[in-house]
Amino acid sequence: MAGVAAALMAMPRITTNDDLRLAKGCAEGDTTIFEEIYRDHSDRMKSIAYNHLGNVSDAEDAVQETFLKVHRAASTYNGESAFTTWMYRVLINTCYDALRRRLRRIQEAPIDDVLTFERAGASVDDAKRMTLRKMLGELPEQRRTVFILFEVEGLSHAEIGRILNISEGNSKWILFATKKQLQEQWKNKS
Amino acid sequence: MTIHCDNFDDLLLEGDTFSMQIAAKHAKDCASCAEKLASWNEISETARGMHVSWENEMLWPRIKRALGAEKQRSRSHVWQIAAALLIFAVLGGLTWRAQERARKFDDVIMREAALEKVEQTEKEHIAAINNLEKMAQPRLSDPSSPLLVSYKEKLMLLDDAIAECQTNIDRNRQNAHLRRQLLAIYTEKQRTLQEVLREESHASNQ
Repeated sequence: MAGVAAALMAMPRITTNDDLRLAKGCAEGDTTIFEEIYRDHSDRMKSIAYNHLGNVSDAEDAVQETFLKVHRAASTYNGESAFTTWMYRVLINTCYDALRRRLRRIQEAPIDDVLTFERAGASVDDAKRMTLRKMLGELPEQRRTVFILFEVEGLSHAEIGRILNISEGNSKWILFATKKQLQEQWKNKS
Repeated sequence: MTIHCDNFDDLLLEGDTFSMQIAAKHAKDCASCAEKLASWNEISETARGMHVSWENEMLWPRIKRALGAEKQRSRSHVWQIAAALLIFAVLGGLTWRAQERARKFDDVIMREAALEKVEQTEKEHIAAINNLEKMAQPRLSDPSSPLLVSYKEKLMLLDDAIAECQTNIDRNRQNAHLRRQLLAIYTEKQRTLQEVLREESHASNQ
């Protein structure tokens, strides 16, 4: 978790030459640039995708799809936000698309807790996590995403605001309302 | 800092370390808020444990292959667009050329038709004048007055001018100026022949 926090702290807030370098490399299909992004961000990308989609296979598909979308759209990156922020926005939209496709298929993907994950916070038991995951699955997309990005991935409200294109205050309010809603259900379940 | 239960939610909304410390301090003396804070923190703690991390050595090679295929596809897509544009340009050029040729052909046909119509009308006009000339011929071959002699000379000059003009027209059929000139000479010849015939009837009346 400390590594993730450090990486998040390093997430640039304004467009830098590095953002432009990444965007240019992605638009040109430079594999070394993609490899660099994969090395630095795939862990968090997989976790975000997993917590939206609920299984490893779909999460990995979403990460792959995100890389392809970034390649296709990198030339349209306008530098309004940091390149990685833009990339996370693409990832989250990819997850939403996957969820909508799944809804259309009317198939419930199994919650994949069979695999052995290296999880942070070993003091919290799996039953609680599964309960929370199920409750999150019933939330509207934006509420779920704000909760995952803040509480699970440790992003700040400012970063979440930039990714979801909402204000910092709005992100804070959505998280509060979501946690209030979860708290009620949490009490009933326990 | 003292807070009331009513303000407890404001601290949870703020959510920063300082606000949460104040909330915890208040919760120590308030059972209801303590319960609220406990479940609040429990959710956060559970959520922190939901960060998952796994290694799949096949994922990056898979993404790399997909990117390569995508690059290949977009490259061939560019070639397809270029080929389509080229075919479109060639077809456009050929269509334009064919239309241009058809238009020119139509122009020639129309010009020829118009010219033939003019020539036909001219022939009819000349035939009518020749008919008039035949009627005046007996009088002109034996002129009985100086006026008729003068008409005969004028008609001879007009015939010479007609012959010369006709020669020039044969060299350049589409010269409208020569055709106008020929028409003017013929009109003059027609007027002269009419005057000869009028002179003849005037003399017979006398």
